[in-house]
Amino acid sequence: MKLAAVATVYRKHSHAQHIVDRFLDGYGWNGEFHRPPFELAGLYVDQVGADDLSKERASRHPSLRIYPTVREALTLGGDKLAVDGVMLVGEHGDYPKTEKGQVQYPRYQFFQQIVDVYRASGRGVPLFNDKHLSWNWAWAEEMYQTARSMKFAFMAGSSLPVTWRIPSFEMPLGSQVREAVCVCYGGVDSYDFHGLESIQCLVERRKGGESGVKWLQAYRGERFWQAMTDGVWSRELVQAALCRSHTLTSPREGFNDLMPTLDQMKQIVKDAVAYNYEHNDGLRCTMLLMNGLVRDFNFAARLDNPSRIVSTQLYLPMPDGRTTLANFFSPLAFNMEQLYANGRSPYPLERTLLTTGLTASGVDSLHAAGARQETPHLAIRYQPSSESTFERT
Amino acid sequence: MMLTRREFLGTAAALPLAAAAQRPPVRIAVITTIYKYLSHGQHMGDRFLVGYPYAGQWRQPNVKVVSLYVDQKPEGDLSAARANEFGFRVYPTIAEALCRGGSKLACDAVLIVGEHGEYPNNDKGQKLYPRYEFFQQCVEVFKASRRAVPVYNDKHLSYSFEKARSMVQASKKMGFPMLGGSSLPVTWRLPDVEMPLEAHIEDAVMVGVGGSDAMDFHALEALQCMVERRRGGETGVKAVQMLTGDEVWKSAAKDLLSSALSRSDTPLGLSELDGRVQDLVGDGVLPGLVKHPAAYIIEYRDGLRATMLMLDGAVKDFNFAARVRGTGVISAQFFLTPVPNVTYSACLVHKIEEMFTTGRAPYPIERTLLTSGILESCLDSKKQNSARLETPALSVSYQPPAESQRCRV
Repeated sequence: MKLAAVATVYRKHSHAQHIVDRFLDGYGWNGEFHRPPFELAGLYVDQVGADDLSKERASRHPSLRIYPTVREALTLGGDKLAVDGVMLVGEHGDYPKTEKGQVQYPRYQFFQQIVDVYRASGRGVPLFNDKHLSWNWAWAEEMYQTARSMKFAFMAGSSLPVTWRIPSFEMPLGSQVREAVCVCYGGVDSYDFHGLESIQCLVERRKGGESGVKWLQAYRGERFWQAMTDGVWSRELVQAALCRSHTLTSPREGFNDLMPTLDQMKQIVKDAVAYNYEHNDGLRCTMLLMNGLVRDFNFAARLDNPSRIVSTQLYLPMPDGRTTLANFFSPLAFNMEQLYANGRSPYPLERTLLTTGLTASGVDSLHAAGARQETPHLAIRYQPSSESTFERT
Repeated sequence: MMLTRREFLGTAAALPLAAAAQRPPVRIAVITTIYKYLSHGQHMGDRFLVGYPYAGQWRQPNVKVVSLYVDQKPEGDLSAARANEFGFRVYPTIAEALCRGGSKLACDAVLIVGEHGEYPNNDKGQKLYPRYEFFQQCVEVFKASRRAVPVYNDKHLSYSFEKARSMVQASKKMGFPMLGGSSLPVTWRLPDVEMPLEAHIEDAVMVGVGGSDAMDFHALEALQCMVERRRGGETGVKAVQMLTGDEVWKSAAKDLLSSALSRSDTPLGLSELDGRVQDLVGDGVLPGLVKHPAAYIIEYRDGLRATMLMLDGAVKDFNFAARVRGTGVISAQFFLTPVPNVTYSACLVHKIEEMFTTGRAPYPIERTLLTSGILESCLDSKKQNSARLETPALSVSYQPPAESQRCRV
């Protein structure tokens, strides 16, 4: 099977490098070095700078050709679609920002060029889109509808749902989830999406499945701390999530691992951000960016019947000095392989459609000084895949 | 939210019922070479003072540090500050720390952390940490007091197997529980696997990194905690050999080395250069990356042969693989979580707490004894030009704990 990749930029530690490299060079999987049984034949890179690696990769992989357009990468220079699967990696690179601070990665534009080839060729092939569908909700929804109407398999999202969990915990199907949080780090319209996907991949397994989201409200700075004090979200769950962190910043010099008090957290965290939102079935969730306090993704939830707290870290081996490989892309690549081999996404696209909308609403709420955003457009109902898709072998 | 010990006690005092329901805290003496930021003494000792993350909660152990002995007080020493803040005393001798200034043992357990600090090296390259000497001084107090209490000894028992053996013998003779060793056997594993009990292990390979007589011990004990679960349990070691240079590359089964390294998140060389994934074995890049490889070859008395490779320059993490008849290859990374939190040590402290509060060691001290001996004998082999050395003294047999001791909750 032949594949094509469409990327914004292919430099060291860009998402395209992490993902496409795994299809070219292989990766450690299930205790062996695994070489995907696909031929990555066509590549389009939107921005080629001095740090570009695509030419180096093509030089080592003679079957890979770099094309000047998205269309040619998919037709391999011919006049019709010539590959059996496509990966769209529109993360990193220099693109203008919206007035709300969102980077305008051209995922929608790439998607349109890809489906133009599908239409012209009279067939669509499985497509993977890295991260959220688009910074723009209307475009994301259109991408979703297009894939549905053209009936090609479409998979998207973050690597958080599929990476290691420490402990290796899965939300039991049918759990009664009352509230959930993810305490994580990173920027708005960036890692917030990963935090939202971390929550969503776990809570979508609750009783009744996903019912969609009614409203979202963002908190920043002083309002964040007031909300935390007032119990807008559960401090007990935040504490439980923090107990899963491996990178908790100590509030006191000379102590290497110490749980800060709320006042100490306030001193430690820079520009705290939270997205608090309610699902249509009443579930309340909160994604908290606590930069300076942690450098990992930690989930906790309160369940009923019996009442208990569950928690885990969605572990990213992060090449920021902690590792050299971003090996959370390995389970993502493995799930992409299932998409291409089976013509079916291993998990529902609706998850990422919902988290795409939540990310945009979070940005909107922040931009509107924390005003609550009603989200009738996010009444997205779906059932999770019964099989767990996170890494555990 | 974190409570200081005083606040914690204050809370307990305000809740007499809850306090009454709880047994009195286990009083422990901490005996350490040094107590400064990020020394083993600090990060383990502190967990008994301020608690630690465990099973999704901040756990405040029912343990009270009542005394401290530090052998050296280098710049950055925290012993006095901790004593002042948490209400215990630093004593000038181990005997006084255990007796808290009195004439008899006045604590319920002892934590010995003889790691870090300035001590001479011997001609095998081992740092002569005074763990045996510390332990002996504790035993003297036990004898004089006609009472012995549980002892935890961090890392290997001693650089010398003879000394290590006499430590274990003293604990058996006097009947006090003893726990020792590395945090690797009890940390998280990626994936979350355990060697099945009674597994028919055909071959095992462990990859470690770091300096000798420090990190090699960790790798050897990680290997040991897996292979001890084989058919019949541990039988002891018949012979060892330590290879260096190009000979190393012929010493380990390639499929197992490849499997172990497939678990690594830290390949060096080209992965550092441009982020690419590497098949370190298949690509043949190991000899170029590892300037000073070492292989610790262990022949067990029941015929199993296992190899531990120290591969500085190739990776920066600890990975294991074994071929098990009827199952195939089992492999995992022993996950050492990042500095400074080193939360893996919380996994170990939980085991220590378990022994201190129940009086039972969750896993046998013989594991650490045997590993101490394997390490010393391997370093002897290195000194004797990589000669294969018969090790009749290492006929240490024991049964593994039936329940897995890895962190998984």
